Amino acid sequence: MTTESAQIETGVRKARITQSYDTIAWKWMRYSAVLLIPLVWIHVILQDVIIGVHQIDLSYVAYRWANLGWRVYDIFLVSFTFAHGMNGFRQVLNDYIHTVKARQAVALFLLIAWFVITLIGAAAIIGGVR
Amino acid sequence: MSALRTTLIGYVRYRGHQGHLAFLMHRVTGLGTLLFLTIHILDTATVYFFPNLYADAIAVYRTTLFGLAEMVLVFCVLYHGANGLRIAFFDWFPKYWTIEIERKWATRTLILAIILWLPAAIIMGRSLLIYNFHLFEG
Repeated sequence: MTTESAQIETGVRKARITQSYDTIAWKWMRYSAVLLIPLVWIHVILQDVIIGVHQIDLSYVAYRWANLGWRVYDIFLVSFTFAHGMNGFRQVLNDYIHTVKARQAVALFLLIAWFVITLIGAAAIIGGVR
Repeated sequence: MSALRTTLIGYVRYRGHQGHLAFLMHRVTGLGTLLFLTIHILDTATVYFFPNLYADAIAVYRTTLFGLAEMVLVFCVLYHGANGLRIAFFDWFPKYWTIEIERKWATRTLILAIILWLPAAIIMGRSLLIYNFHLFEG
């Protein structure tokens, strides 16, 4: 297994960081957060302000998903937000779980939950309105 | 469990200033948003799996309780995003991460979230008053 390193400038000295899942997850949380802000707010403003909650029904969803672009958008939306959220949840729980084995078990449970729920969401977006 | 109790009591008693409040709020708003999101993914998935249930789900979301919860949710997402950007900025430019600058920006983040929330709250509140309390009708 190779250990890659990243250099971080602290202003006093440079430190070499060995990569691990957590360092990648840390970077990913920041990058996905920046991407999520337009992704989420376009969705919210479109659905709640422009369309309005009281106009939302099955035919509206079908109308929107008739456009492939919106389905692709929704797939990006669901994947990035839910992964960002579940990883954040994992980090929060890690603060309160004190044994390595228990943390690993919770992480596995969260991974499975993330996978199943994302699968359900993706299936609905791809399947469309019935 | 008692370790958790100690931790939570510690969160309340810790004499952190804005930074500590920002940490707590970021955590609470993140968890709240995640809970909403899980339910939202599943309820929207009903359009494919149980289409007749979708209308029922939307009807529940138009109730007053959910209308109020939605207003809280919008604040949660706004605050979590704004504070997250602040955190990401400090992570990318650590030389700016001093106590004074952090406290100043933690305060500004909260104020920004509230300012961004107010127009949304007015729109949603108005919608609640019109549809749920039948005000402004002839």
